[in-house]
Amino acid sequence: MIAARGLSIRTGAGHAAVRSADLAIRPGERLGVVGESGSGKTLLALAMIGMVPEGLQVSGEIAVGGTVVAPGDEAAWQRLRAREVAMIFQEPMSALNPLARVGDTIAEPLMVHRGLTRSAARAQARELLEETGIPQPERRLDQYPHELSGGQRQRVLIALALACDPALLIADEPTTALDAAVALRITDLLVRLARERRMALLFISHDLAAVARTTEAMLVMYGGDIVERGATDRVLADPAHPYTKGLIAARPSLAQRGRRRLPTIPGTVPPLEALAEGCRFAGRCPVELPRCVHLRPAATATASGSAACHLLGAAP
Amino acid sequence: MRVPFNLALGAALVALVLAVALVSLVWTPHPHAALDVANKFAPPSAVHWLGTDQLGRDLVSQLMVAARNSMAVAVLAVGIGCALGTGLGLLAAARGGWTEEAIMRLSDLGFAFPALLFAIMLAAVFGPSLPNVVIAIAFINIPTFARVSRAAANQVWRRDYVWAARAAGMGRFAISRDHILPNIAAPVIVQMTIEFAVAILVEAALSYLGLGAQPPNPSWGRMLSEAQTLMYLAPQLAIWPGLCIVTAVLGFSLLGDGLRDITDPRLTRVRAA
Repeated sequence: MIAARGLSIRTGAGHAAVRSADLAIRPGERLGVVGESGSGKTLLALAMIGMVPEGLQVSGEIAVGGTVVAPGDEAAWQRLRAREVAMIFQEPMSALNPLARVGDTIAEPLMVHRGLTRSAARAQARELLEETGIPQPERRLDQYPHELSGGQRQRVLIALALACDPALLIADEPTTALDAAVALRITDLLVRLARERRMALLFISHDLAAVARTTEAMLVMYGGDIVERGATDRVLADPAHPYTKGLIAARPSLAQRGRRRLPTIPGTVPPLEALAEGCRFAGRCPVELPRCVHLRPAATATASGSAACHLLGAAP
Repeated sequence: MRVPFNLALGAALVALVLAVALVSLVWTPHPHAALDVANKFAPPSAVHWLGTDQLGRDLVSQLMVAARNSMAVAVLAVGIGCALGTGLGLLAAARGGWTEEAIMRLSDLGFAFPALLFAIMLAAVFGPSLPNVVIAIAFINIPTFARVSRAAANQVWRRDYVWAARAAGMGRFAISRDHILPNIAAPVIVQMTIEFAVAILVEAALSYLGLGAQPPNPSWGRMLSEAQTLMYLAPQLAIWPGLCIVTAVLGFSLLGDGLRDITDPRLTRVRAA
């Protein structure tokens, strides 16, 4: 089990990009994180693998398999990466070294972490590629990234992430750069791999349909706060937080094609320093109360899980 | 792709000098140190293509052996300087923090230290010789390569594939070896080519001052200094070694410029516009 408690990430200027987030992922669980750009979902994911960029301050507690790891303990994180937590990235076109053969890229962590010989690592790399469903895995080993399509590269990156059999795979918008048909196949592949390997999956996306298809539980993030969480199907069917409601209402639907303008959430995500101290959604919220700007709402139980909104709780 | 003119000319000149140096290993028209005092200051002839010097030694043979010495010094010195400097640059980029700061300030110190002064110091302590010239030139090359490789490596460290390698549990040194080094090879090779030209020039200067190759081992620089007093009597003795230095330095400079033009994507865009 991998868990974060009271995880905060601050910029050098002291603005919170993630505010005391709690999350826990049990073995085999598939958890989605949904939010706009700038909602802190990628930073949250990077913190779970100890790779928050330099210059940002991480505080709070991260526990991997029962042991607490300090956010800045690079040596400890390096031992955990690949074996406990692995990650795949948004942009498969640039996430592979253009000068290295695909087989070598996958074989390298196998040799480093598992002490395999070059030939054993190569054989293992072939098996991993086969597991990701890439056509002609044997041939791919000796190919360079420019010879592969975007979907094939994402499969190679998945094979690389799976190399040391991690307990948790973090997928940071793995399908954003891919076309819709390939994206569907990649999300299905992730679900299949998570099931077969009893591997937890942290699936980050702004695509509600992809999250619905991939995950059992989900978190909704806005402005660095987790505003709602619960079982994926129930949150999507019965959202409690005004932001989640707005997000779901803004989904295009074939049934309503052409009948009306797509609803939107007015305004844009303000820059970090302009976010309200209380509820981050204050200022764009359609049902805002006077206290929302100053007072941060606590998570309150809802029908589908919990949400942080003053409308849901008892008056303070 | 069209080969730029400077690259083609530079490569041709470098190939010429290298070919002469290699041929001198197995063949020269005459033994380069053979004296023939009766035949001193001979004009160019079928026997002595460029004539002989003040001791009757064959000029072509001396120039050929000098080319070999010059190339050997340049390759060894730049090779050593590049290996150590690039290693330090990679280390600086991989570790960051105070390690990077220390390496870069030390290399600033190295930059402030003139090669000539260092070579004179070495000569004073160990006596003048070509190996000391190699050490001196290698030493001044270390900070250059440390800077070039660190700057390039810091850019590569920000690439997505380095993040992917880190997420796959690779350590800083394994990433430096497998991902950073191959991707900074282009600027480092360009720098090497340019430093070859500098090394040839420095070797000639040190030999001119008597700190490099010792007689009878010929060097373009020492040939120049010996010809200096005979400028009015036999100007060709200064002109030919001078031309050799110009050819070698120009060749490596043009080659370096040409390689940079075709490997630096920022310059490619400017050229295409």
